[in-house]
Amino acid sequence: MRKVALRGLLARRVRLALTALAVALGVMLIAGTYVFTDTINSSFDRIFTSSLAKTDVAVTPNDDLTSDGFEGVDPIPADILQRIQGLPGVAAASGGLFDESGTILDREGEPISNGAPNFIASRAQLDRFEAFDVAEGRMPSGPGEVALDKSTAERKDLEVGGTVDVIGREPRKRYTIVGTVQIAGADSFGGAGVALMTLPEAQRMTGKRGAFDQIDVAAAEGTGAEALRRTIREALPARYDVRTGEQEAAQLSDDIREQFGFLTTALLAFAGIALFVGAFIIFNTFSITVAQRAREFALLRTLGASRRQVMRSVLTEGAVLGALGSAVGLGLGILVAKGLKAMFYAIGFDVPAQGTVLETRTIVVSLAVGILVTLVASLAPALRATRVPPVAALREGVAMPETRSSRLAFPLAVVLTSAGIAALVAALAVVSDTTTGLTLAGIGAAATFIGVGLMSPKLVGPIAAVVGRPLSRRLTGRLARENAVRQPGRTAATAAALMIGVALVSFASIFAASAKETVAGYIDRGLIGDVVVQNKDGFTPFSGGARELLAALPGVDDVAAFRFAQVRIDGEDKGVTGVDPDTIGAVYDVTSGDDVIAGLKDGEIAVSSDYAEDEGLRAGSVLTVRTARRAQLRLRVAGTYEDKAELLGARVMSNETVGREIGASRDSYLFLGLADGAAARAAVERALRRDFPQIEALTAEEFKDDQAAQIDQLLGLIYALLALAIIVSLFGIVNTLALSITERTRELGMLRAIGTSRRQVRSMIRQESMIIAVIGGVLGLAVGVVLAIVFTTAIGDIELHVPASSLVVLLVLSAVAGVLAAALPARRAARLNVLDALAHE
Amino acid sequence: MSTTPLVAAEQLIRTYGTGEATVHALAGVTVELPAKQFTAIMGPSGSGKSTLMHVLAGLDRPTSGRVVLDGVDITGLDDGALTRLRRDRIGFVFQSFNLLSVLTAQENILLPLSIAGRAPDAAWVDQLVGVVGLTDRLHHRPAELSGGQQQRVAVARALASRPAIVFADEPTGNLDSATSAEVLALLRRSVDEFDQTIVMVTHDPGAAAIADRIITLRDGRIVSDERAGDGIAVAERA
Ligand SMILES: Nc1ncnc2c1ncn2[C@@H]1O[C@H](COP(=O)(O)OP(=O)(O)OP(=O)(O)O)[C@@H](O)[C@H]1O
Ligand SMILES: [Mg+2]
Repeated sequence: MRKVALRGLLARRVRLALTALAVALGVMLIAGTYVFTDTINSSFDRIFTSSLAKTDVAVTPNDDLTSDGFEGVDPIPADILQRIQGLPGVAAASGGLFDESGTILDREGEPISNGAPNFIASRAQLDRFEAFDVAEGRMPSGPGEVALDKSTAERKDLEVGGTVDVIGREPRKRYTIVGTVQIAGADSFGGAGVALMTLPEAQRMTGKRGAFDQIDVAAAEGTGAEALRRTIREALPARYDVRTGEQEAAQLSDDIREQFGFLTTALLAFAGIALFVGAFIIFNTFSITVAQRAREFALLRTLGASRRQVMRSVLTEGAVLGALGSAVGLGLGILVAKGLKAMFYAIGFDVPAQGTVLETRTIVVSLAVGILVTLVASLAPALRATRVPPVAALREGVAMPETRSSRLAFPLAVVLTSAGIAALVAALAVVSDTTTGLTLAGIGAAATFIGVGLMSPKLVGPIAAVVGRPLSRRLTGRLARENAVRQPGRTAATAAALMIGVALVSFASIFAASAKETVAGYIDRGLIGDVVVQNKDGFTPFSGGARELLAALPGVDDVAAFRFAQVRIDGEDKGVTGVDPDTIGAVYDVTSGDDVIAGLKDGEIAVSSDYAEDEGLRAGSVLTVRTARRAQLRLRVAGTYEDKAELLGARVMSNETVGREIGASRDSYLFLGLADGAAARAAVERALRRDFPQIEALTAEEFKDDQAAQIDQLLGLIYALLALAIIVSLFGIVNTLALSITERTRELGMLRAIGTSRRQVRSMIRQESMIIAVIGGVLGLAVGVVLAIVFTTAIGDIELHVPASSLVVLLVLSAVAGVLAAALPARRAARLNVLDALAHE
Repeated sequence: MSTTPLVAAEQLIRTYGTGEATVHALAGVTVELPAKQFTAIMGPSGSGKSTLMHVLAGLDRPTSGRVVLDGVDITGLDDGALTRLRRDRIGFVFQSFNLLSVLTAQENILLPLSIAGRAPDAAWVDQLVGVVGLTDRLHHRPAELSGGQQQRVAVARALASRPAIVFADEPTGNLDSATSAEVLALLRRSVDEFDQTIVMVTHDPGAAAIADRIITLRDGRIVSDERAGDGIAVAERA
C-alpha cells in the first residue's frame, strides 16, 4: 500500500511540487525568522562577550524601570570609581560612556538613521578595557576628534580625514574623523551609529560631566571575578548593578533577545498566516485528487484493501509532501534570513548578522510544523477516501457519497464564524493580558476564516453569477462562469485561501485609515498652537536644549514641552506625561480640567477622570510611585482632567518634577505658539537646522501627514508580509485550475475540434481564474470589513473609517492576480493536442 | 458525380513510431469525396478508420500525401488556419463527450456559432431543432437527456453552422439499435434534404447500409469502395 502512495506521488510530480510549495513558503518564513534572529543574537553575544572579555566586574546604574527606552537613570559619579579603585582585589578600574542620546549627521546634515539609535561612546581610559578595534586611522585623542563605526562611515560616505557633525545633549558640533572602528570583528554595533570620543569630550556632549555609564574592573592576580563582584557589591549602594563580565554580557544578550523577541513573534505570526492559507490549499488539493481517484480507491478496496489502508495511503502522501515542502522551506528560509537582513539594511538598520546560525530548534520546528500542518489538512480528504464503496470501481461516474458531515457543514460554519467573532470581541474587550489576548484573537480570526470558508460553497454560486454577468456575453466568459461553479466546494476552498490574505490586507488598510483619521481628529481637537516640534524619526526624544533655544527666539510666544516617562505603581509600569503647566494652556486644548493642569505644582500629579474613578483617587489623595531615581515618591493628586485628544494619557506631572524625580530630561514634543507672519516660523526652522537638525517643526497639517506617513510605513511592512500568504493562495488557484483542466481534457479537446481557437481556450481559463479570485476578494473584503468593525468597536477609541477606494483597488488587484495565476494552466490547456485530448481518460 | 470532389486525398501515409515498432496506420490512401454524398468508412479495429477521418478533417497531419478540402490544401495550413477551417467549414460528431455538460441543449447546438462569434440563422436553427425533434428539450442540460437525445443534439450542433462537410466517428457506437436508427435517419435526412456532405466511421454494417457509398479499410489501405446496398464497386484499388 505504501508503494501505491509513493507511486501515486511520483506520477503527479508537478502537482506535488505546487502543493509542497504551499507548505514550503510558510515554513520558509519560520525558518527565516529563526535563522535571522538567532544570527543577530549570536552576533550580539559575540559583541558583548568580546567587549567585556577583559572586564572581570562591570558596574552599571540599575535601569530596572527604564529598559523600554525611557531615560531616567543617573550616571555613576566619579567618587564611586574612586571608591572601587580603593577596594582590595582590584587591579584596575575605569569608567566609560555609552550614551544613546546622540545624533550623528550625514554629509547633508540629516540624521544618519531613522530608528536605530546613535551612541556617543568614550574611548576606554585603560587600553585593557578597550572594546573597539581600529579598522582604519587611529583612536580620537583630542576634543575635536571622533572615530566612527566602520558601517556608518561606509554607508554614509564619511571618510577618515573628513568631518562629521554630532549632536548630543549639547548642540551640534563638528568633529574631524580620525579613524573607523570595529567591535568583535563586526563593522556595526547592532545597526547603531557609534561616535567614539575621548572621555572628557563624550562627558561634555552627553551632559554627564564627571560621570560614567559603566565602570569596568579588572581583578588583581589571585582574585576571582565572583569574589571581586561580592566585594564591590557590598561596598556600593543598591542602585548600582554589580555583575561579573560574563554575567553582564549575558544580561545584555538577554536584553537584546527581549527587544528582538517582538520581531520574532511578529514574523512568526505572519508565517502562521501563510501556513494557515497553505493548509486550505493542501486540503483542497487532496480533496480534488481523492475525488479524482475514487475509482482507484474502490479498486483497491475490491482487491481487499481495508479502509485503514486506504486512509494510511493518503496520509502517507500527506506526510511525504509535508516533509518535502518543509525541507524546501527550510532551505529557502536560510536565503530569506539574508533577505531580511538586506531589508533591514535598506531601512537603515545594519543589524549585525554574521554567518548563518542554524540551530537544531530551527530544523525541528520547521519540519515538525510543516509536516503537522500537511497531515492535519489531509486528514479530512483521507477520511473521505475511506468512504468510497468498493462497488464504485464497477460503475461509471460515481460521485463521492454525501456524508452527514457535509450536510452539517453549513450550520457548523455559521456557529464557527459566530464563535470566532465572539472570541475576537472577548480578546479585545475583556482579556487584559496581552499574550492571552493576542492568542485568543488569533484563534478567533482562524475560526472566523474556517467558518466563512465552510460557508462559502453556498456563496460561490450567487457571487459568481454577479461577477460573471458582465463576462457572460461572450461564450468564453459564459463557460468560465459555469466551470467556476461546477464544483462549488472546490472553488470555495480555493477562493477561501485568497480570502484570508485579502481579509487581512483590507482589515489592515481599514484599521490604518481609521487610525489616521483618529489621530488627525486628536490633532484638530488638541493642538491650538501653531507648530509641533518633534524628532524627524517621529519618536526619539531630544535634548531640553532645543526648548531653551526656541523659547529665546523673537516671534516665539509660547513653548510647551511634552515628555513621556515611566513609573511603577503597585508593581505595574505606567506611563506619565510631563508638561509645562505655565504654557500648556496656550498651545494645547485639554477637554476639561485645564485649570488643574495649569495649576500643577512641583510634587503634584493630575489624573484622568477615568483613572481617578478606577483607583478611587480625588484631589488631595496621595499616590505613591517608584521611579528610576526614587524608591518611593509620594505625589499629591492635584485634581482630575479629561483629554479627548489622548496626548496626556492618564497621569500628568510638571516637567520639573518629571525631570528631577524620574530623571526624564529630554522632550518628545514641543508645541509652539508663534507671532503672526512667516518670520517666526522661518526663525524656528533656521535655529533648528543650525543646532538640532535631527528635529523638525511641523504645522498641524504637516504633523498629521507625518503621523499618517508613520502609519503607512508600518502598513507597508504588513502588506509585504501578507503578500506571502497571498502568493501561497495564488499557488492554490494555479493548482485547482491545473487539476480541473486535467479533468476536463476531453471537453477541451472537443471544443478545440469544433473550432475553438487556442486564444479562446486561454481566455476561458483566465476568466475562470479571475472569477475564483474575485470570489476570494469579495469574501475577503466582507470579512475584512467585519473584522475592522469588530476591532474598532471593541477598542472604542478609534473611529471607523473605510477607505472605499483602497478596497476597490484591492478587488481589482485580486482579479488581476487571478489572471496572472491562470497564465501557466491556460497555456497548458491551450497547448493540448486535440487528438490526445479527445482520447484522454 | 462529375463535379469536382469536395475532399480529395492523395497517397496519404500516416505512420506511428519508428524502426521495428513502426505502425502504418495509413499506408497510402487515395480517395475523393464528392459533395452531397453520405460516405461510410468501415473496417476492422485498428484498420485506420479514425486516423483517416482525423487526417481528412485536419485534426491530424499525414506523414506524407496531401488533402484538399473545399479547394484548400489543408496539409500545409498552420494551427490557426486549421482551427478556423474546422470552425467554419467542418462539423463533428464523436462517439461520446460531444456536449458541454454546463450548457443547455440549445447552447450546445449554437456552440460553433458562439465560438465564431457569428449570429445564428434563426430560421435554420428552428428548422434543425424541429428536424432533430428536440423542440421541447432545448433548455435541458445534457445530463437530463437520454444518450440518443444527446447524440441528436450533437448532430444538430454539427449542422448548425452549415459546414461544407460533417465527420462522424462511430456516432452510434454507444447507442442501442432503436436510438441508433433515430440518429442515422437524422444524418440521412440532412444529406437528402439539406444537401449536406457526411463522412461516417462505423463498425456496424447496418449503419453503413444507410450511406450512399461504403469504403472499407484494412491495414491502412482501402480494400473496397462500393455503392451501398447494391454491392456494385465504384472503384477497386489494390
Ligand atoms: N497515437 C498513436 N500512437 C501509436 N499508434 C497509434 C496511435 N493512434 C493510432 N495508432 C495505431 O494506428 C492504427 C490505426 O488506428 P485507428 O485508431 O485509426 O484505428 P480504427 O480503425 O479507428 O480502430 P477502431 O475501430 O478500434 O477505432 C492502429 O494500429 C493503432 O494502434
Ligand atoms: Mg476508431
